[in-house]
Amino acid sequence: MDLEDQGAIKATVEELGSDDIVVILGSPDPDAAEMYAETVTLGDPTYAGPLAGVSLRLPVYNIFEPEIKEQIPPEVYQEQVAMMEMVLPAEEICARVRAVREKAGVSS
Amino acid sequence: MVEKEQAMTHPIRIIHYLNQFFGGIGGEDKADVGLEIRRGPVGPGLGLQHALGPDGEIIATLICGDNYFHMQMATVRTAVLDIVGDLRPDILVAGPAFNAGRYGMACGEVCKVVAERAHMPTVTAMYPENPAVETYRRVPNLWILPTGATAADMRAVLPRLATLIRKLGRGQPLGPARAEGLIPRGQRVLTTASRPGAERAVTMLLAKLRGQPFQTELPLYQLESVPPASPVADLRTARLATITTAGLVPRGNPDGFKVFNATRWSRYRLPDAPALNGEDWEIIHGGFNTAYAQANPNLVLPLDVLRELVGEMIGELDEYFYSITGVGTSLAVAKQAGEAIAASLGEDHVDAALLVAT
Repeated sequence: MDLEDQGAIKATVEELGSDDIVVILGSPDPDAAEMYAETVTLGDPTYAGPLAGVSLRLPVYNIFEPEIKEQIPPEVYQEQVAMMEMVLPAEEICARVRAVREKAGVSS
Repeated sequence: MVEKEQAMTHPIRIIHYLNQFFGGIGGEDKADVGLEIRRGPVGPGLGLQHALGPDGEIIATLICGDNYFHMQMATVRTAVLDIVGDLRPDILVAGPAFNAGRYGMACGEVCKVVAERAHMPTVTAMYPENPAVETYRRVPNLWILPTGATAADMRAVLPRLATLIRKLGRGQPLGPARAEGLIPRGQRVLTTASRPGAERAVTMLLAKLRGQPFQTELPLYQLESVPPASPVADLRTARLATITTAGLVPRGNPDGFKVFNATRWSRYRLPDAPALNGEDWEIIHGGFNTAYAQANPNLVLPLDVLRELVGEMIGELDEYFYSITGVGTSLAVAKQAGEAIAASLGEDHVDAALLVAT
């Protein structure tokens, strides 16, 4: 997750609190998805950005996960996301993000 | 005696080198920033400092943009040596760089210049397939710790890095690279074995015959030598084919290309048009912002220019182009793809191939 995004998420939580914030990822590979999920829950595991050492414990999901997918109108999902779900390792991405949520003890 | 005791117990003084990303300055758009020095640990240095505890102290962090480093290498080298001379650390640490090519080379080069000119131990960490490994692994006073390909491995690497720093900083002898978990440096050290060579060889042979694991004492590196192709005799009469690693595919991605870790390549027919049209093609690639190439695929397969050059500089264009997605592709897959593409080019009597960079 780039430094600007980390900074924006940190600033948003500082301003509004974390109660009503959910992070939705569109990361294309399992490693990145896991890292981004860790960044917004336990802190930036690469120690590169503003969230290094900062545990926001935000609920985080990949857009392919059923919790998010079922809230999107099917025709919109079909047009905007379904193609990428087909070409990416979606199952592994979802499993890795879910595992980070469990490790961090967060859910929405 | 007092001096010796102090030497044994004082925290190891460390200078840490990072690129602009891990230094928290920014991504690719900040790769031109010059060398700067900050007091104490920064970014991954915070994790490293935690892993070291009281045994070491990161006294300063050097941060430099990857592009700046490579364009101003002589300047950076001199500046790093000046800083090392002023601060007198016990050890210099660079990275981890994982599989980042330019960052890996910068880490290797900084370590090399400090190891050679300031005569102190230097350590870096990166993915074994990072091109910098082969360039720098034999440099005296430089040790490379193998890592995973991405920063996802950071959490696991930092404690290993700390262990290595403790040993080197305290002047403790290191065992063989395999035992220390390091990338081999190609050095041979004389030791006395507990059993004679004949016994050890027979033990290995028996294990091999039983299909059990064993560790050779004489690993043979299979370094591949690739002879360059002979030059194209006359491009004006040559049949030219094109290959792109940009993941260019017909719209709809009929062969199911993936955006990372390609496992396949494909051959597609070039349209009978003066240029590629963005509406007919798609870019399946997770390694760059594809918006521009999506709008104008000629950026990654310059059919527009090639059509103009046919008859002037090029004899003719092959009617097909070859496509693969070049992001994190394993060497084994790349080799298979290269061999298969070369065979196909041969069957089509192609004289030369243009591999378009992305």
